[in-house]
Amino acid sequence: MFDSMITAVLYLIGDGYNIFYLMIGVMVGIMFSIVPGLGGAAAIALLLPLTFGMEPEQAIILMGGVMGAVSAGGAVTSILLNTPGTAPNAATCFDGYPMAQQGKAGLAIGAAAGASTIGGVFGLAVLVAILPVAKAIVLWFGPPAFFMMAVLGLTALTAAGGDMLRGLIAGCAGLFLGFIGYDDIGGSERYTFGIDYLWDGMSLVPALIGLFAISEMLTLYVTNESAAKAKDGIDENITGIWDGVVESFKEWKLVMYSSAIGTVMGAIPGVGGTVGSFMAYTFAATTCKNNENFGKGDIRGVIAPEASNNAKDGGSLIPTLAFGMPGGAEMAIFLGVLILHGLNPGPMLLIEREWTIFTLIIAILIATVLSNVIVLMSTRYIIKVAKINITVLVPSIMVIAFVAAFTIRNSVGDTFVTAIFGILGYLMRKFDYPRITVVIALVLAELMEKNYTQSMLMFGGDGMGFFRDKTTLIIFLICMAALSLRFFQIIRARKRVSV
Amino acid sequence: MKKIMTLLFTLLTVLLSGCGQKTEETFPQENISIVIPYGAGGGFDTTVRVFAHFFEKHLGGGISVLPENIPGTGGRRGTSTVYRAKPDGYTLGIFNLPGLVLPSITGEKVDYDLRKLSWLGRVESQDYVLLVQSASAINTLDDLKAQEKITFVSIGYGTTVLAAIQIMAEQMGLMSKNPTFLTGYAGTTDQLVALVRGDGNVTMSPISTATQYIQSGSLRPLAVTGNNRSSHLPEVATFAELGYPDLAPLNVQRSIAGPPDMAPALLAQLRDAFSKTMADPEFIAAATGAAMDVAPLNGEDAAKAINDNFTYYEKFKANLNNPNQ
Repeated sequence: MFDSMITAVLYLIGDGYNIFYLMIGVMVGIMFSIVPGLGGAAAIALLLPLTFGMEPEQAIILMGGVMGAVSAGGAVTSILLNTPGTAPNAATCFDGYPMAQQGKAGLAIGAAAGASTIGGVFGLAVLVAILPVAKAIVLWFGPPAFFMMAVLGLTALTAAGGDMLRGLIAGCAGLFLGFIGYDDIGGSERYTFGIDYLWDGMSLVPALIGLFAISEMLTLYVTNESAAKAKDGIDENITGIWDGVVESFKEWKLVMYSSAIGTVMGAIPGVGGTVGSFMAYTFAATTCKNNENFGKGDIRGVIAPEASNNAKDGGSLIPTLAFGMPGGAEMAIFLGVLILHGLNPGPMLLIEREWTIFTLIIAILIATVLSNVIVLMSTRYIIKVAKINITVLVPSIMVIAFVAAFTIRNSVGDTFVTAIFGILGYLMRKFDYPRITVVIALVLAELMEKNYTQSMLMFGGDGMGFFRDKTTLIIFLICMAALSLRFFQIIRARKRVSV
Repeated sequence: MKKIMTLLFTLLTVLLSGCGQKTEETFPQENISIVIPYGAGGGFDTTVRVFAHFFEKHLGGGISVLPENIPGTGGRRGTSTVYRAKPDGYTLGIFNLPGLVLPSITGEKVDYDLRKLSWLGRVESQDYVLLVQSASAINTLDDLKAQEKITFVSIGYGTTVLAAIQIMAEQMGLMSKNPTFLTGYAGTTDQLVALVRGDGNVTMSPISTATQYIQSGSLRPLAVTGNNRSSHLPEVATFAELGYPDLAPLNVQRSIAGPPDMAPALLAQLRDAFSKTMADPEFIAAATGAAMDVAPLNGEDAAKAINDNFTYYEKFKANLNNPNQ
């Protein structure tokens, strides 16, 4: 394992191109994290065609650069503009923006950068610790356990969400969309209306681009404001950044808890960063002492989601690399990059190309640290991206988004999906439905259904079989715990109101 | 700025004037694309990427041969694209046999007929291996027949692997045991991991995919298809040797073809370049490096192999229904 690590380090620094690709990845990652609506998934999707001529490890370094960097800038816009750069940064707005209004923007940005760096390192450390036993873990997860994981993903989503009813509606819509297409166990076509395109089901990435990038642009167009609202009046008065960094180290316990939440949430396929950062925020807001200031500008409300947000990368790489099962949308596209370069994610990749995986880990590590340093040093310039005049921003992003949707599979159908989901996303945003829930349910639908059917075939139709499988039983108990935690919170909140 | 615009405009004009002036003298005049009806990164993709590089060299003309992935509908979208293309030699494709034959056998609507394509030749052919877990008590085909509970793990309905398992089960008389077909795995690797994990107890897989699991001691091979033993697994007997000659033709083939009704001179030129590519030692070396199972056939023989495929699978039509419908 250590020799693989050394091989990876030597490979990375031994060639100028590798460092160049890493830098490109970091820069693209930062830019994409700042422009609202464009996150890691879009960045990786856009860079994918550029990797065609590269060696697999070079492509991995480029993508690692993006992954490590993509959450760094998002916190800046969350704090300064109340507009999350990427979806997982949304929870950072709750306390970050009030802090900025109180003139403590620098402190918040520093704390966010510090927390996300520690979180990122934490997540990767967990990944490295688990890699050697990943093969054994693969063998614990048969169809029943995968089914229960999907259930846990949906449960966690509902338990963490704000408005439960809207969340459930969005989740059901996502599940329904996920059932479209050919069912290769039952051998039937569902909701395809004879359209060939629908045979393969809703494709995830075009849907994502529509839901997030297009809908955001539509909103900007309709409200006719640049991402930075004129009234924000924030400019160069950013001070106290380093005090913020120090603050994040002082709150090390909170950073550890939040990182652990982020890693675990990242590791559950289909859940990913957004749920993780919301859960970390909720956890901090309910368990911290003197929590009355949460939502009004408590620095811990910035530290918790940001630590969790970066920790999720390490976590979501576990299922991606070990099972070939994406931990989130970003990972789903990254999986495509791996396969494109002839690296089949799964147990054999871990055994045969261990050093390739360490190349990825080291690239992410460097990118995490580097991107946060860059963000800290260039905050005052970076925010100008969010102030680009919308007459320039909206058409450019629209074009980039549609081209990206098309190039993934050279399919015109994909651009229609992007357009439809763009409008859907705009409406969901307008009427306050959680878009991420739709996406996650869409991803989990196929996983859940297929593994359910397979489990029932294995058990010969006896549903009790789920509880005879140890792994499945454990995951089931976690589901129950997540639900009861939510229930407990509601009761406590009611009590507080009545008192 | 104006200068730059003028320069760009001139460049564009020059570039555009290059198009459209196709003379009919010699083939090829422009780039050729080989359609891969599956996504990038899979086995078919690798085959084409290795093949295209050397095919380009033997075709001459200073043009490029470009792989083009058109995935979707289980390979049918890309196949239809080639089937409907102009037979001018600039659109070719790689095809999965019997994968693309099966839908027409089981009565699904397809808008192509593989037998009408202009076949250049076959690049690869892989035989199947019958596998059990190495901890299993099943050591021979007779042990398997004596098993009471049989669960096959397989990729989903409509794939070649499931069809191979169904035909094998029928030929060996295992259907009377009312076996479970645990289908739905995403690929051959998934299916093999599922067998290692013990989701089921028997499967079949193309030999090259299974080799690493056999060598690592996770899975045990019982028999292979094909007329001869496999070079990967020389110690494993064939089904024919063990008394099941009807299972010998089970395999997966990767062949290259153009649209129907190609002009004979053009087809002859393409077939010639194909044969030269197959004989090129550099191609063989590259293919071996990419773990391909090169088993070349010339155009006519490849076309005959398609017809044999139809005849063979037609014979087992009754066994190829979806077991989990």
